[in-house]
Amino acid sequence: MILKYAISKELRQELGLRENEELYYCVPYDIDDDGSMLDDSYIVVSNFRLFITKKGKVLESLELKDAGEVIAEPLINCGTLIWKQNDTERKLIRYSSKHLARYAYIARGCRLLKEGETIPVESDEDEKTCPRCGRALPGTKECPHCTHQKSGLINSMWKYMKKYRMLLTTAIILMLLATAVTMLNPALQRILVDDIIKDENGTMKGAMIVLLGMLALSIGIILINAGKYYLCAKLGANMALDLRKALYGKIQELSLSFINDRKPGELMNRVIGDTNRVRDFMSEIFCDFATIAVIFVFDVIIMLILNWKLALIAFAFTPVAVGISISFRKVIHRRFHMQWVKDDNVRSNLQDVISGMAVVKSYGQEEAEGLRFNEKADAYAATQRSNETVWALFFPAMQFILSIGTYFIVFFGGRSVLNLDMSAGELIQFVSYTGMLYQYVGWLSNLPRHLMNIVTAHERISDVMNQTPRIADGEEAVEHEIQGNIEFKNASFGYKSYKPVLDGINLKIKPGEMIGLVGASGTGKSTMINLIMHLYEIDNGELLIDGINIKDIALENYHSQIGVVLQETFLFSGTILNNIRFAKPDATYEEIITAAKMANAHDFICRTPDGYNTYVGEKGYNLSGGERQRIAIARAILNNPRLLILDEATASLDTESEYLIQKALERLTAGRTTFAIAHRLSTLRNADRLVVIDGHHIAEVGTHNELMEKKGIYYGLVNAQLEMNKSA
Amino acid sequence: MGYGKGFHGEEKEFDLEEMEKETEEMLKIRYLNSDNADFKRTEGGFVSLKIGDENYERVHVVRMFPFTDPEHYISIRTPDENSKEIGIIKDFKDVSADTRKMLEEQMNLRYFTPIITKIINIKDEYGYAYFDVVTDRGACRFTINIGGSAVVHLSDTRILISDIDENRFEIPDIMKLTVGERKKLDLFL
Repeated sequence: MILKYAISKELRQELGLRENEELYYCVPYDIDDDGSMLDDSYIVVSNFRLFITKKGKVLESLELKDAGEVIAEPLINCGTLIWKQNDTERKLIRYSSKHLARYAYIARGCRLLKEGETIPVESDEDEKTCPRCGRALPGTKECPHCTHQKSGLINSMWKYMKKYRMLLTTAIILMLLATAVTMLNPALQRILVDDIIKDENGTMKGAMIVLLGMLALSIGIILINAGKYYLCAKLGANMALDLRKALYGKIQELSLSFINDRKPGELMNRVIGDTNRVRDFMSEIFCDFATIAVIFVFDVIIMLILNWKLALIAFAFTPVAVGISISFRKVIHRRFHMQWVKDDNVRSNLQDVISGMAVVKSYGQEEAEGLRFNEKADAYAATQRSNETVWALFFPAMQFILSIGTYFIVFFGGRSVLNLDMSAGELIQFVSYTGMLYQYVGWLSNLPRHLMNIVTAHERISDVMNQTPRIADGEEAVEHEIQGNIEFKNASFGYKSYKPVLDGINLKIKPGEMIGLVGASGTGKSTMINLIMHLYEIDNGELLIDGINIKDIALENYHSQIGVVLQETFLFSGTILNNIRFAKPDATYEEIITAAKMANAHDFICRTPDGYNTYVGEKGYNLSGGERQRIAIARAILNNPRLLILDEATASLDTESEYLIQKALERLTAGRTTFAIAHRLSTLRNADRLVVIDGHHIAEVGTHNELMEKKGIYYGLVNAQLEMNKSA
Repeated sequence: MGYGKGFHGEEKEFDLEEMEKETEEMLKIRYLNSDNADFKRTEGGFVSLKIGDENYERVHVVRMFPFTDPEHYISIRTPDENSKEIGIIKDFKDVSADTRKMLEEQMNLRYFTPIITKIINIKDEYGYAYFDVVTDRGACRFTINIGGSAVVHLSDTRILISDIDENRFEIPDIMKLTVGERKKLDLFL
């Protein structure tokens, strides 16, 4: 996201920058005081001042050091930048949603500048529209229209194609053959008419030979086409498969922040949808493209050779043919899109009502809902009916109009034949070629759309492929056996760089210590754990594991030594055995049983019909929350982790299973450095130290008794829970 | 975040009586009028409120029914993150003309939904539609995502269009558009 727009020389002069004054940010605002749209107006921030400019004039400059705070306040579909000084809030300017996120960064940028920080805030967020051409970006960094575009497409397609060079070569040979055969057929027709039917020496035998030749060509084209489509489909499927694997591999490699920044459906779409588009393009468009393009060129050349005057008449009609094809396509697209929308309406209404049937029935709204549904279904049926009628009338009409050009050719050509300027066979051949010309010109006019489709798909794929994982093993990454010393040194982190979740965290943890993390929701407890698991990289400061910076420890090696039990246990579709084995695939049965026993899971597993081979996960055997939790604990124990993370591991469980899990956890945490988050503070009673997080900072650290004596936040939390239990 | 959600918020200080009192108070509707509420413009361009001995340096002016009844039932709220209701103005007739004016200014500041008065052109290209329109706030171009739910029907003739930046545009009555304009819009209705 752009935070420093280009600034004109004139405006720069207008700002009157002082010595040592540097520009940091420059972002537009687009709503005037009276609420009307505004352009060419910017907020400019230097290391000393904030300028409000409007249409090239500086309205005001404010000293950052005077500001108590610069706030970007989001409103409804717009936002306002507020200057807070001496506790008075002042509205500076207003902007539409387009710049909402930008100003959030600017507000943070101002705060950092005020604090003396000289590194500008940067944003990894993508722009929504291309700054060059103004088109919407399909969720990518680069605009498919403006960047490397088609050359890049060919290069990277070639990268995936070259593995299949043989396949490709064969396909291209077949394409050329198809061209030759298609072009030969009309030539044979001419021979049949001129040399046999009209010629006095024409014999039945000659006719049979030509006819057989035509038959052979017809069979030939079928075989060639079949082969061609088969090869192209294979090529497309193989390429899509390779792309899919590469994409999946890449997505796994990328850090969680990349994945969390995107909707899950979007990444699914790229792996499945966009690769499918590549396949479709290769097997359908590419396959025909080479054939049709070559036929088209030869067609034009042969027509010119045969009779250039007639050829020009035929060409004169091509723009009309193209125009008709395009407008026909537009009308049909429009109509069928509407039909699709109406169909979608019916479906979503149906889905709504069926999933809410209990509510509909209990409020006696069946009739009203029925009417609503009928209305939508009627609208759909009406559109469908009219579309089918239009299709039935329109399509033949279009075919007819397209063939008008041919009638002209027959008319003028017929006159030539009567004047003996041309033979009848030549005319027949010519008419066939004209037909081909119009047929293919329509197809070719559709090509830009197909090309854009593939360019967009390609852009969306390479957008992922070109990402460099933000968390990756450096060259000096070391394998390290974790002892359990963990140290946060002035660490800050935010999922979005303008919004810190943790700020200035300092904490030292000894091996084997159990730390309980406490604080209201949204204060950053889980974030702290995410950082320890190295799923995210801290923005500022350091995180040291046994004195080694976490960035320098090989990721896989590090993760293999961490055990995690979360509130929502995720079990993969598979057996209990495979789920426990997940982190250590080579574990023996004895190890697994021991782990399950330690997790208090063995007994319930034996009660299931298929024991350790019971299938769980989606559509599998239904386990209770407590049972899933215990499998997760067994999974963690099996791994014998050096570092243990428990995030709400016992929340929302009934008392009995909580007791069992508590016992299992006690065994698990013994001697291991442990981080535990718990809502119910009683579950943290075994913790060596408690860390209270509040307002992005560590507010209190100490044992339960120390914190109770301190009568701070923790004391308040404990009392609140006691009160709640009393009143419940 | 990947996990760790679903954690009930907790009050730092806990006082059962206090909480019960608050809950009771939340149920009450307090109507504001020129007798009990004293609104004033602030230097910074906002509005402050004084009710009896309650003093609010700045308040939010929020429409409860922004589409169906934007001029009635205005909620006056505290501007902090856990914004609480201070009171409701049921009808602007209940307050002075001057107060009404300053509250309307605040609402104009808060809401930004230009009303489309004229459609010059709509170009649709590769899944996005590019609108070139005239609104009550001036000429404007914006882009919508065709696949998504960019167009919402508030009624049979009233629509709301959200662009890719999440700006919103309203067409109060599509029947008031010309036939040509409606045809351009047709694909998105």
